[in-house]
Amino acid sequence: MRLNLIVPALVSVLVPAVFLVLAGWQFGWLGASSPAAPYASVFPPDESFQFDPPPAGSYDLPVIKQAPDGRVLDIDGQVRSLSGITGGKVSLVSFVYLTCGDVNGCPLAMSTLFDIYYASGEIPGLRDRLQLLTISFDPERDTVEAIDAFAYPIRNDGEADQRVPWQVLTTAGQTDLQPILDGYGQVVDRAPDQDSISHLLRIYLVDGRGQIRNVYGLGLIDPRLLMTDVETLLMQESGT
Amino acid sequence: MKRREFTGLAAAALAMGGLPLRGFADETCQSPYMPMITGHEEYIYVWTLGVEGMGDEQDKLVTVDVRPGSDTRGEVINSVSVGGRNEAHHGGFSADRRYFWAGGLDTNRIFIFDVHSDPSNPTLHKVIDTFVKDSGGVVGPHTFFALPGRMLITGLSNDDDHGGRTALVEYNDDGDFVATHWMPTEADMQGAVAVDGAVADGYGYDIRALIRKNIMLTSSFTGWSNYMMDFGQMLGDPEAMKRFGNTIVQWDLHTRQPRKVFNVPGAPLEIRFPWGANANYAFSTTALTSKLWLIYEDDTGEWQAKDVGDIGNPADVPLPVDISIAADDQTLWVNTFMDGMTRLFDVSDPHNPRMVYEKVIDRQVNMVSQSWDGERVYFTSSLLANWDKKGDDNAQYLKAYTWNGSELIDDFEIDFNALKLGRAHIMRFGSAALYA
Repeated sequence: MRLNLIVPALVSVLVPAVFLVLAGWQFGWLGASSPAAPYASVFPPDESFQFDPPPAGSYDLPVIKQAPDGRVLDIDGQVRSLSGITGGKVSLVSFVYLTCGDVNGCPLAMSTLFDIYYASGEIPGLRDRLQLLTISFDPERDTVEAIDAFAYPIRNDGEADQRVPWQVLTTAGQTDLQPILDGYGQVVDRAPDQDSISHLLRIYLVDGRGQIRNVYGLGLIDPRLLMTDVETLLMQESGT
Repeated sequence: MKRREFTGLAAAALAMGGLPLRGFADETCQSPYMPMITGHEEYIYVWTLGVEGMGDEQDKLVTVDVRPGSDTRGEVINSVSVGGRNEAHHGGFSADRRYFWAGGLDTNRIFIFDVHSDPSNPTLHKVIDTFVKDSGGVVGPHTFFALPGRMLITGLSNDDDHGGRTALVEYNDDGDFVATHWMPTEADMQGAVAVDGAVADGYGYDIRALIRKNIMLTSSFTGWSNYMMDFGQMLGDPEAMKRFGNTIVQWDLHTRQPRKVFNVPGAPLEIRFPWGANANYAFSTTALTSKLWLIYEDDTGEWQAKDVGDIGNPADVPLPVDISIAADDQTLWVNTFMDGMTRLFDVSDPHNPRMVYEKVIDRQVNMVSQSWDGERVYFTSSLLANWDKKGDDNAQYLKAYTWNGSELIDDFEIDFNALKLGRAHIMRFGSAALYA
């Protein structure tokens, strides 16, 4: 089998396996939270973040900028508008690529998003108000088939209807991708051989009107902090 | 002095995914959100004040080549002028390190330079002319501290009375206004607590953060009416000398809400956090009282501030200015403007700093930047256009030294007067390797 066939095959097998393992890690601490407790309370503290998140709703999240629109592809290969996906819900958006091996890059973002995905079932009603988006910045390798394989543990999650939706997206190519990256301010540098893609890890908090309300980088990717911001936004939207 | 390994923390701070780790070299005092240069710094960008009657008389970003082995190493290789004089002062890179934001304290203009398209030749990308209007009256954009997706800017003054009452101002990376956060005052503490009788003056100057503790600190200088006044005239004006900040404010970094106001008399200026994984403190120095201050977390988890030593002879008012902490947190360079001297403090015990070296750089000195490995140390000269010394004492330069562990060895020097460039102020490092 040629290398360009082996890699997607490995990705389609290994990536779901890796995330099934990640999923297993979550079950040990789920189920301990109170429905009325702050969102952040369903996540265990991480020694990297030596502070407690502020009380949700005790601070402002000013509008940083309008998130860009653009054409994306979902796991069924359907062309969709990004604004159509983000409209009406709070979204946590991250740009990733499936073969990223940097521990401080995509795997950290994915691990955090999986933390939030599995814990979201502990928060009643959250799935109607929050969603996760991952958008590939490597559309040449992250084809519809590849992202569909990546989404295997989500598609086959028996409790998916209790958890927040996760939109796994790619694009048809750089022409569609670049304006989205530019609009978000996601920096990506491609090496000439395309094997390594340097990028700054970012997760974006987008409100239901498509406005970026926070940007998280290395040192801020704490699910407690992200979910406190989500709770703050939802409190503002509901006027509480 | 024992120098502990810091490869681990450098790796942790390297946020560029997918790149192999090479050697580290970078200035040590920038936003921890920012990617670091891997390898030797290649260029030094010097934000330079234009001088009437000198060259093109305009403020400019001067690029100096420091690439090892380059035919033009130690020379000015490019300069981009901005069309006027603005009281050029400080600047900082965006969190993606692709743009360098630089402020004018007098005109309140902010210049955003593209440093990634060709790191050897920055270009002027955008100018923000609406800082005062955007911010609701903040004057004097000073420190530019990068956060992911945005720039946090400290003000020095306001357009109401041109005194020291001021705010923090946020812009997004596109240069669009986001928010203003006014400093706490005695009349409006915004929930902050005054420690040991501190009086919240509402002044601003520098800003730094310790992310893993969610701690942000700001210091306090003086307003437009003082920093644009002739230095000698100001020293002789008792009322003007009362208009200096005496506080450092502890903030909640995430919420931008003030928590504590510390009494730090004598205009605390630069703030530097160390890099160590368990180092929960920061240093600052006071311009008028010539003290080294430690802001630290005590055994109960509360943050405190205390004077931990003199810088030179405070009675001589040597005027401490820029400081630079080593990447291994063991030493701190401290410049004093009036005597043109740099001093190295052993801060391995931050509660008991000890001066271990001193050297006169020139007739005046302001900024200091050091490479990540601490082996190269750079100095520039200008404080403020109206505060720099006059006549022959007005030396304007970039000087480069090698630090061999016991003394500074001359490397190269660029005379900004002779080249008709102007007054050399803040330095920042660049490298093409960041964008490969």
